[in-house]
Amino acid sequence: MLTLLGLTTVGSIVYPLGRFLAPPGEKDKSKQISLKRSEIPAGEAKDIPFAGMPAMVINLPGRGFVAFSRVCSHLGCLVDYDKVRNRIFCPCHAAVFDLEGNVVTGPPPRPLQKLPLRVEGESIVIG
Amino acid sequence: MWAKIKNWLEIRIGLTELIQTQLTEYRVPKNINLFYTLGFVALVFFVLQVVTGFFLLFYYIPHSETAFRSVQEIMSTVPYGWLVRQMHVVGSTLMFVCVFLHFIAVFFMGGYKKPRELTWVVGTFMFFVTIVFCLSGYLLPWSQMSYWATTIATTMPTAFPYIGDMVGNLMKGSPQVSGLTLNRFFALHVTLLPLILVILIGLHLFLVRRIGISSPPFGRAEEAERPWKKYHHVSHPDGHPFYPDFVLKEVVMLMIFFALMFFIISFLPTLLLPEESNIAADPFKTPAHIKPEWYFLAPYQMLKIIPNKFLGISLQIILSLLFILWPFLDTKEEVNILKRRRLLAFFVLGVFLWVVFTIWGKVS
Repeated sequence: MLTLLGLTTVGSIVYPLGRFLAPPGEKDKSKQISLKRSEIPAGEAKDIPFAGMPAMVINLPGRGFVAFSRVCSHLGCLVDYDKVRNRIFCPCHAAVFDLEGNVVTGPPPRPLQKLPLRVEGESIVIG
Repeated sequence: MWAKIKNWLEIRIGLTELIQTQLTEYRVPKNINLFYTLGFVALVFFVLQVVTGFFLLFYYIPHSETAFRSVQEIMSTVPYGWLVRQMHVVGSTLMFVCVFLHFIAVFFMGGYKKPRELTWVVGTFMFFVTIVFCLSGYLLPWSQMSYWATTIATTMPTAFPYIGDMVGNLMKGSPQVSGLTLNRFFALHVTLLPLILVILIGLHLFLVRRIGISSPPFGRAEEAERPWKKYHHVSHPDGHPFYPDFVLKEVVMLMIFFALMFFIISFLPTLLLPEESNIAADPFKTPAHIKPEWYFLAPYQMLKIIPNKFLGISLQIILSLLFILWPFLDTKEEVNILKRRRLLAFFVLGVFLWVVFTIWGKVS
């Protein structure tokens, strides 16, 4: 009986506290974003916000458009497209990703998150 | 007037006896050295943090829209605001230096050994609270440096499966570092952490006084009380009085650290506030050459070279646990490190590696 009372007391404190501390739901999370093809010339990248997180679309010459989350899978810094060296680079811990988002060097445990992308006429739709 | 106040206190709390037992007749070991004063200096710098932090709160506005601007105004518009903030920033670093040197000195002099294991463990908790203090305070100016350093720190728990994401999100209050994170860190920095640190300082000082100050193991006879079978206060009847002898030593060390603080503020004002600290946080741009504060450079470099995130962070947790539990791992009776070659080699190697990783992290 005493244990039950104790557990109820602890639960009635811990549960509301946990809910209080848990992040509130995101309000602005548009699941699709549309860009014009002309906004990203060949060999260039454009940084965009997507579903509340930083993302980028790269126009790879001869290979078309690809979209990635810019959040490095290591410790959350933002990666940048390095067009001179044809790679994606994270400035925090010097990680290098190839243009498919795969880890080339550095400590990230997994590739960059690739975002679904399709080209519809003159538009690029991400998401 | 003073005599009346003294007499009033004498009747109520026995002032003369208190001064005698706690200061003038309280003895410290004869061979005590300057390194024993570092704990006191760290304490004074903590008080300095409280005082300067209190004044900064007059002008600082803890909101993501205003935090950066309010800090810039403290530096450029508020009369002597730059001095208060620089004392807070440089003071925090010097407090960290004091705590760090205090640990090295205690380790080198075997001050963690029986019966002072608990004093060491409480000290390590204080060290980690100081780190969390530095980390939470670092975000408050809402600059590029603060934003991205916090992003890295709050992403670290994600190395652990199942609970990692939840812990990271609890710290941040949102999927990315945001105004909610700023509010959480601010609340932590100005309310909970000071309270925890004050309690730990009280406990630490209680243990130091209750057990008695340890003496340096060099050039002295083996302590008569060894082996330690039951509690007794370690006194030093042939030692020097705490006041004025030891207090003067403490004041000398304090003046050295204050001189260093004002030297940095006057002649190297950008040493701890580099360019990125004057650029407002931009959640869409990680600065090109972001580096953590100097005291995080060694773990930063370690994370950089270990190819597996889980392994890198787990290794740092294991090293931290080793650090906390060290008195229970090193149970040999011998206190003098110079008579223990393997321990001395371990100590020198540890300090050497820390220095190498710090420099490597800085230049890489």
